[in-house]
Amino acid sequence: MKVALVGNQNSGKTTLFNTLTGSNQKVGNWPGVTIERKEGTIIDTNIEIIDLPGVYSLSPYSSEEEISRQFVMEEKPDLIINIIDATSLERSLYLTTQLLELDIDVVIALNMADVLEKSGITVDVEKLSKRLNTTIVSISAKKNLGIQQLISVVKSGEYQNNRQDYIYDEEIENVISNITRLINVGHKRFSAVKIIERDRDYRPLLTDEINAQIDMLEHNYSMDSEQLIADQRYRHIGRIKKECSTQEEKGDTVTDKLDRVFLHKIFGLPIFALIMGIVYFLSVGLVGGLTVDFVGALFDGSETINILGREMPFVIAGLGPTLSGWLTNIGASPWSVSLVVDGIIAGFGAVSSFLPQLIILFLCLALLETTGYMSRISFFLDRIFKRFGLSGKSLIPFIVGSGCSVPGIMASRTVENEEERKMTVMLTPFVPCSAKLPIIALFAGYFFSSLAWLVTLSLYFMAIAVILLSALILKKFIYKGATSSYLSELPNYHAPSAIYVFRDVFDKTWSFIKRAGTVIVLCSVAVWFLASFTWTFNYIDGVNYHIENSILAGIGNAFAWIFYPMLGGTWSWGATVSAIQGLIAKEQVVSSLEVIAGLEGGGSTVFESGIFSFFNSWNAYAYMIFNLFSAPCFAAIGAMRKELGSTKGMFKAVFFQTGIAWVLATFVGMIGWLIV
Amino acid sequence: MQTQNRHRHGRRTRLQVGQEGHLSDLERGQKAIVLDFHNDNAILRRRLLDMGITKGVEIEIKKIAPLGDPVDIRLRGYELCIRRKDMRSIDIKVVE
Repeated sequence: MKVALVGNQNSGKTTLFNTLTGSNQKVGNWPGVTIERKEGTIIDTNIEIIDLPGVYSLSPYSSEEEISRQFVMEEKPDLIINIIDATSLERSLYLTTQLLELDIDVVIALNMADVLEKSGITVDVEKLSKRLNTTIVSISAKKNLGIQQLISVVKSGEYQNNRQDYIYDEEIENVISNITRLINVGHKRFSAVKIIERDRDYRPLLTDEINAQIDMLEHNYSMDSEQLIADQRYRHIGRIKKECSTQEEKGDTVTDKLDRVFLHKIFGLPIFALIMGIVYFLSVGLVGGLTVDFVGALFDGSETINILGREMPFVIAGLGPTLSGWLTNIGASPWSVSLVVDGIIAGFGAVSSFLPQLIILFLCLALLETTGYMSRISFFLDRIFKRFGLSGKSLIPFIVGSGCSVPGIMASRTVENEEERKMTVMLTPFVPCSAKLPIIALFAGYFFSSLAWLVTLSLYFMAIAVILLSALILKKFIYKGATSSYLSELPNYHAPSAIYVFRDVFDKTWSFIKRAGTVIVLCSVAVWFLASFTWTFNYIDGVNYHIENSILAGIGNAFAWIFYPMLGGTWSWGATVSAIQGLIAKEQVVSSLEVIAGLEGGGSTVFESGIFSFFNSWNAYAYMIFNLFSAPCFAAIGAMRKELGSTKGMFKAVFFQTGIAWVLATFVGMIGWLIV
Repeated sequence: MQTQNRHRHGRRTRLQVGQEGHLSDLERGQKAIVLDFHNDNAILRRRLLDMGITKGVEIEIKKIAPLGDPVDIRLRGYELCIRRKDMRSIDIKVVE
């Protein structure tokens, strides 16, 4: 048996799906689009359940609606479970009445979660069931109430069949039955209504005879047929609601009172800045400062680590050096030791060192999300974003992206409009992620010492400028004519739900590990190979062959011309190769510079070694710009590919980002070249 | 249809009960019923219909974002955020 779960956004659909399936779920993508497809098996049964995207209607306009429509019409599920939120009965039933026009049985799961919390609303479930002429089970997805009953109704098949009640005026119903007699397609009643609406997918069925009847309806009601159907549907629902539900007008709710503070004309934005400040302080500042170096040293080994800006001795032998010693002892060849340590373990280390702060960031963001504050952020920043062809919803991926681009890019799924979503995916990597901070720390610390904070700040402002400017460019040349609108709901404020928060943090962390982990480890092995062998495949042992003989150095020399102008007229394979290494993980830029400077010898810091002594404040700034804004790491590129839905789109994005970065960096570098 | 309710300096005069205008002209707390809407964007038009903005429905202005846009409106027992630009295409008559 196959069941489709259908409902509005924010109806508790995801919670119900999780409760029904437990851990028996498979996450994938709908073919051709980047919308998540979740399916699973209902606990203790072999009933297959598919979670359709949250929709308000079965119109053919958004990709979510199209998917849902195609699925219910073509895949022929045996049953639809329609979850509706009892607090917004009217809007929810709009979708329900459409589902009841299909040739599929519908069981309604009436989500009472919010009604139980809020007094003032009553629903007469029995009467509602009678009026809709279908089975209703009241549940609370959040409190796990009524779920067993829902499962047993579905399993036993003891639900009412779809009787396809008449809901429109007689005149319209007559036209519907005329049409159903004339057409020969599945879901006759649903199709007839769509034909009356002159739905674009049903235009081939619109004969002159039918058209004349629709014209007549439009004339008699003096509105177009699309409006007429919507109007009649809502009239029908209005009558049902009046009979089955009462809603006490109680003046201001708790949510209204809280919004008076959080959405205050003057204090709203400072409060937002304060909240985000706290989030970053906790994750990137406090936990990041405590753990990045520590975890990194656990993998790679180090004598000192930087804890919250202070150098501390580190006594634990790192996993890399330990394994290296052990492998050497059992007689492994130098190159195989290096593969394990410099390739695989270094790759794992790069992923893991950012994990603690990401978990805290995910935790804070999950809290903001589940309490309802996140929706407010996109609500009040929409005005700024819409000028650049984005909506306020793009902000969430950007915020997440400041921790790591990978979950940021994945968070772009919340942006509904496809063009806006793709733009958001392409723009998120411009946000300086935490892996880019070591690059800033190295260059800004050395060349701008006491003004380092100002330089860092300038780079963040530049990131904002680059994002907004790129949005304008993308809108003008690639995503032309994308009309953006902002129609969404402000959910009520809720106390955070521990289960939701835990699950969300776990899911996000796990998918970060999976995605970033595999890509980074694979790619760091590849770069390790390029850096460790010469063109004749001799291992670079530091005695007969040196890093400047490596394939990587060769590649560096082949691409050094790209960096020539931004480095103020310097041919540097080392800087080139280091920037390329940034593709593995951005903090690799720093370690690559250090490794190359170290092999070269001379001078105690990177910039005192002969090979990098050409750096001055101008080309250092230019080089930082390039590394910050050019193609992100492989993990993020992989995430972009997935969310853009094509390899072509991914390459476009990478070239676009690198192009912008190159122009900016070259501009700054050339100024330096001319005046220094 | 009264559309000239903006002063030259962009300051708006409050629409009185019984007056007609666009949904975007209302202030916080005002209620109006929808008379008609004219939107050339078929997708957006359909979306507004689906969300319950049909002729005769009563809409209340609930919350306004700190920067003045978008606006949170209440209709049919639920709340919806909508941009001013899209509100301009909805003709209303003030009832409260």
